[in-house]
Amino acid sequence: MEKNTFFSKILFYLLLILIAIVMIFPFYWMFITSLQPLQAVYKYPPEFFPKKPTLDNYKEIFTKFNFMRYTLNSLFVATLAALGQLFTCSITGFAFARMHFKGKELLFGLILATIMVPVEVVIIPEFLLMKWFGWINTYLPLIVPSFLIGTTGIFLMRSFYENIPMELEEAAVIDGATPFQVYWRIFVPLSRTPLSALFIISFLINWNDLLRPLIYINSVEKFTLPLALINFQGEYSAQWNYLLAGAVVSVIPILVVYLLMQKQFIEGITSTGLKG
Amino acid sequence: MRYKWYVPYLFIFLALIGLFVFRLGPIVLALIMGFTDWSPFGSPEWVGIENYIDLFTSPTFWTIFKNTIIFSAVFVPTIVVFSLLLAVLLNKGLKGTTIFRVMFFAPVITSTVAIGIVWQWIFSTDIGFINFTLRTLGIDDPPSWLSDGRYSLFVVAFVYAWKRVGYYMIIYLAGLQDIPRNLIEAARVDGATKFTEFKYITLPLITPTMFFVLIMSTIDSFKSFEIVYTMTKGGPGVASTTLSYYVYQNAFELFQMGTASSIAMVLLAIVATITYINFKYKSKWVQYRY
Repeated sequence: MEKNTFFSKILFYLLLILIAIVMIFPFYWMFITSLQPLQAVYKYPPEFFPKKPTLDNYKEIFTKFNFMRYTLNSLFVATLAALGQLFTCSITGFAFARMHFKGKELLFGLILATIMVPVEVVIIPEFLLMKWFGWINTYLPLIVPSFLIGTTGIFLMRSFYENIPMELEEAAVIDGATPFQVYWRIFVPLSRTPLSALFIISFLINWNDLLRPLIYINSVEKFTLPLALINFQGEYSAQWNYLLAGAVVSVIPILVVYLLMQKQFIEGITSTGLKG
Repeated sequence: MRYKWYVPYLFIFLALIGLFVFRLGPIVLALIMGFTDWSPFGSPEWVGIENYIDLFTSPTFWTIFKNTIIFSAVFVPTIVVFSLLLAVLLNKGLKGTTIFRVMFFAPVITSTVAIGIVWQWIFSTDIGFINFTLRTLGIDDPPSWLSDGRYSLFVVAFVYAWKRVGYYMIIYLAGLQDIPRNLIEAARVDGATKFTEFKYITLPLITPTMFFVLIMSTIDSFKSFEIVYTMTKGGPGVASTTLSYYVYQNAFELFQMGTASSIAMVLLAIVATITYINFKYKSKWVQYRY
């Protein structure tokens, strides 16, 4: 890389550290607030390093406020939705990359074109449809669409499958493999990298989603974490210690996996162009 | 591979259902619903362009329209400039770049709800960190950021830009790394300073990426529902209500599906127009050839 003089280096580091403080401080503030009892939270001036950190808030939200249940709900919804994306995007991407059929370009173009459509436009008819199916207050509206829609995932898988050499496919065909066997036995095992990226991204999106749980889920015991937080915020708005402990619970699993696999996360999110 | 003509359609069957039932169908249905009075409790009634007339003659709608434009006008330039700044800094080849990149990207993967709540806490009037800092600096009566109509929209737009900047930073980084090394070295041999190098080499060659960031962040700026809902619920009054939030409010709080659909159509028209303008004029300032 380029050479930096000593002073420009110092300047760059100062800038980087300044920005890092702005980017990281809210996380730090969330953690330390969640480790303090309410009277300490309301103390003025605020404490930057809590003198007596405690896990009581976490104990409370897990026992009294049922956050374990919400965590499991979120885990269930996000896992199934992500698995749905893996299957649908890979099999669709395979067909668009390796098969020939009438209307292929048109259909692919249509799928890509819908990416620009804001969710606000389609969510109202989608809601009426789900209502008509009798799926309100079930997890089906949160999971089934992931088995049916996956614009960027389809695009990602198609690009990956287009670059797999013909020989692999031909060898299997000579051995009498059907197209589905070629897809399932050869292409899927080869695509662990894009599939794991896709899994991470769709898990993340469904774990973090607010809009769909908000309009489809009514019973408290079925709430996902973001919905539970919103509900908690409405009911106990002054209890910042609990609210931020809840926020930490919703953030920690993602953050831990992110720190372990940051490369896959960053590449996955940017290569699929999905909104995190 | 040999297969019957219908086999590929079986492979894309799920995606086809999704395309028609969850995308194209709803777009058409939303367009039609915009011309109806549709509450989920009664039967829909055709009212022609009445919803649109009501919208365009309502001062509330224009306030919300203006809010949406202001939100974008804060969000997009912030993103375009700051994500480039972050990317350039990370592209200097300094030690520890990875750690900084991981930190700058962290808000992207964090849920909007959690982020909204934390920033609500930081911006809270009496015990928030921001106002504590302002008081320490001698400002005795700092504003109530989120319950004051003069500030709430800007605060929300700022927080959303804070959340999204890392995403665009990564896109710029990829663009910066595509710039041929020999061009930069040639410029240095010719005695270019850091600044002229940035102005005459980096900046022109990064324009395609900048164009992409511009389009994507503009569209991103219209997806403000979750951050607005978490931080202000559009308030106070309609001071921080954006079109995206207004659609939700009409559809799922007031159950006016017809009105909500007409607002959604306005949103769709804006997004489509901006995408079109961006594409039409990009040749004027995007430099594709090296």
